[in-house]
Amino acid sequence: MTSIVFTENGNGNGSLSSLNYDNLLTYAKGIAGIGPVWDKTELPIYDSGAMTHILKESKIKKIIIAGDEPGMLKPFLSKAMSLVGEDPGKVILVNFKEHGFFTNESFELAKTLLLFAIKDIPFEKVLVPEEHNVNKDTLVIGAGIAGIQASLEIADGQQKVFLVEKSGTIGGHMAMFDKTFPTLDCAACILTPKMVEIGQHDNIELLTYSELKSVTGSPGNYKVIIHKKARRVNLATCIACGICSEKCPGKASSDFDAGTTQRKSIYIPFPQAVPNKYMIDENSCIYVENGKCGVCVKVCPVPDCINLDEKDEDVEINVGNIIVATGFKTFDAKRIDQFGYGKYPNVITSLELERLVNAAGPTGGFIKFRTQNKKKNWIFSPESDEPKSIAIVHCVGSRDENYNKYCSKVCCMYSLKLAHLIKEKLPEAEVSEYYIDMRAFGKGYEEFYERIKNENIHIIRGRTAQVDQNGSGLIIRTEDIEKGLLIEQKVDMVVLSVGIEPAEGASSLAKMLNLHQDINGWFSGKNYISDPTSTISGGISIAGVCESPKDIPDTVAQASAAASSVLQSIMKVKTT
Amino acid sequence: MIQRVNPNLKKDLLKLGVKDWNECFHCGNCTAICQLTEEDSLNPRKVFRQAQLGLKTSLQANISPWMCYYCGECSDTCPRDANPGELMMSLRRYLTSIYDWTGLSRLFYTNKFMEFAAILGLATIVILLFAIWGPPLDPTLTSEGGVKINSFAPIKWIELGDWSMAVVVAALLISNILNMFYKVIIKPGVKIPLSVYATELWKLPAHFATQAKFRKCDTKGKYYWGAHWMMMTGYTIMFILIVVFLPEFQVEEIYDWWHWQRLLGYYSTFGLLFGLIYVIIGRIKQNNQIFKFSHLSDWLFVIMLFMTTVSGIMLHLFRINGMPYATYYTYIAHIAILIPMICIEVPFSKWSHLAYRPFAIYFASLKKAASEKQYKTGLAAEIA
Repeated sequence: MTSIVFTENGNGNGSLSSLNYDNLLTYAKGIAGIGPVWDKTELPIYDSGAMTHILKESKIKKIIIAGDEPGMLKPFLSKAMSLVGEDPGKVILVNFKEHGFFTNESFELAKTLLLFAIKDIPFEKVLVPEEHNVNKDTLVIGAGIAGIQASLEIADGQQKVFLVEKSGTIGGHMAMFDKTFPTLDCAACILTPKMVEIGQHDNIELLTYSELKSVTGSPGNYKVIIHKKARRVNLATCIACGICSEKCPGKASSDFDAGTTQRKSIYIPFPQAVPNKYMIDENSCIYVENGKCGVCVKVCPVPDCINLDEKDEDVEINVGNIIVATGFKTFDAKRIDQFGYGKYPNVITSLELERLVNAAGPTGGFIKFRTQNKKKNWIFSPESDEPKSIAIVHCVGSRDENYNKYCSKVCCMYSLKLAHLIKEKLPEAEVSEYYIDMRAFGKGYEEFYERIKNENIHIIRGRTAQVDQNGSGLIIRTEDIEKGLLIEQKVDMVVLSVGIEPAEGASSLAKMLNLHQDINGWFSGKNYISDPTSTISGGISIAGVCESPKDIPDTVAQASAAASSVLQSIMKVKTT
Repeated sequence: MIQRVNPNLKKDLLKLGVKDWNECFHCGNCTAICQLTEEDSLNPRKVFRQAQLGLKTSLQANISPWMCYYCGECSDTCPRDANPGELMMSLRRYLTSIYDWTGLSRLFYTNKFMEFAAILGLATIVILLFAIWGPPLDPTLTSEGGVKINSFAPIKWIELGDWSMAVVVAALLISNILNMFYKVIIKPGVKIPLSVYATELWKLPAHFATQAKFRKCDTKGKYYWGAHWMMMTGYTIMFILIVVFLPEFQVEEIYDWWHWQRLLGYYSTFGLLFGLIYVIIGRIKQNNQIFKFSHLSDWLFVIMLFMTTVSGIMLHLFRINGMPYATYYTYIAHIAILIPMICIEVPFSKWSHLAYRPFAIYFASLKKAASEKQYKTGLAAEIA
């Protein structure tokens, strides 16, 4: 007899699931040949004596635990099974949460998952590409460090890769960072050689400024339509001389510099960009707006290089495997009213500070106040003054029921790194860190934390509640938990260590590729523990932060893992 | 001080409607966002700690709940949805039941049946007293056309009743305050020089009358202080009128509307109605953090006060418009609601905060002044 135990009442304590468990229970009871179906509350689960009695009475050989967190009950039921002399391995988990089944839209999927468990078929077996029918080309979505790593590994394995990137250059967030923790290596020194390799690789076709439009077909044979936005500059002929940008009258805030400075409408995102070619931002280009400008065309030394009337186009490609590496976006600190981001100019985000401390950043690597330029735009300029005291506030938008409940995993470490970099640039400045729990979890991280502690930085336990402007300075209120005292500290600059969220458009991509997202919007692999990179859509893998928050070493490792599964599926192809 | 962890504290608190406090992960957001936080006297996070650890003695000696006026900021911004504001609110219930040595407070808070029985019982006693006594129902009117109220309810008898009620309630309340003093100051062994008791005494009436601390909670467009102050002054004026100035208040003459007696009465009625309607709408709609959770005792307090106010207004209108029977019966109803409200709410339930809050502020300033004095003398001794 197989019995089913339901662990979670959908409306139960702490569960966000609105899956109708009552209907699921009724459905399970109706399955032919099924043994008793219980709700957790009906069983004396923690009393192994009573449990063995029940198991013996109903002659149960296999138990399926279904719910949001079925693993919680497994030890108790396995013990009871072994006590009655049954195989304790026959306690099977059906985890709805892991597959992102939260609403009644996923009701049919939840039923399927249950049936797979009853029939002893691993759910992971669904949708595996057929061996003789795999297109050897691969599509990689997103060209951050994960996409770059995966593309290089596949391309080095002599297989063709299409690398699609939304922005005008590859590199992603890592290109914006100054140093990496815990080794304090220069991020660009690690990343740019890889970027150049991508640009020069024979097996990689780079599609920047492009997005996925539609995906059809089946595992091993996908037809993908890619929407190429008009770059308006010919990639083949542009010599990146920069004359166009010099003369261009249009301006907009720079995405690459996290909005800390202004760039022209015809621009190159950053000097090491790949492809190292100019592009036009249609939102700020005066010609695109009213048809009257065209200065760039006049000054460009290469004939027909700039075509201001270029239109978007769609490209169709056929691939066998897809790797999704769409990464993240940072939490919008404006959402937290009491921190005053966007209201007080010198409350800045960690990403903005990351650009400030970078030698190629808006201030040439000096930490300066944010000031207004002549056109009343708030920017950082090398001429402003330097702050004398800086506070770093952890967990902004993370571990917070009002915003994101999860830990963003990287903020503690990058905050420590930023504290170190501030001390390096401004040795006299007073630097304070306010944290809830210090999560230094990786190789060399705890040592890094110990090192920072000895760098004359105040590391205070307590979540900052409020930031207020006081004259030209800022006042922050925090309780020092270890001393039990309320602290009101006057500082010149507050850095908000913002958490990370799934990238813009992750949900629409998930619909297009039939990926499952967890409750926070991160993509779910087939099995979080043992198969995190493959998804239930066959031939589609996920890598990097789009799967869950992680640091650079983990991202690179996961990208390599995804690449290996793609290569594996290509190697399996039977040649006839 | 060595303290035993009390595993039964949790059960005890849950019975009094305290929400589960295990959500708290001690980030200190509540302490830092609170405008009233003060070392030793108000720290919401420490209250969580004491509740989580089962530190019964510390929790009973903690006056933090009384120092909080519940603006709701902490609950709004709490990253764990642990509702610190509501913990403070429900701990006020716990502390009320702890200070009350008779045990009735605990009984009423934990047993709905007993609470209703006590209210209805007292009301029945009032009605029975009127029935046994059988006052004359004089249908004739005064020369001005008003009802002869004093023939129905002679001042001296009503005054006697008022004063005996006031004495009983005051005796209970004062004994409870002494109990609170024991728990907060004596038991934890706080040493306070006698002179400090005198120098800090002014804070007691000052905070009772102004509730100045509450004003700090009115941030971000909140006006709780004003609404509460109007309700409080309205009630205090009315209470003084009916207990101390009954001969001037319960009169048969119909004064002009600008007469002080009528003006004070109208102010009190307006203040009470304004505050009550604000609270009742809030509690029904649950439109605000502070109204999200309503314990039975919260509702009973509001409803009984509202009924008292409305019956008082009706009584006034019936009397000046010359409706004798309506006046007499409304009078009985008014008293039958008023007596249980005061006898149960003031010493045993929500209304006790009228005394505990000012005393908590007094005790807090005693502790603070004592430690300052100790610090100064210590410093002087060191210098010498």
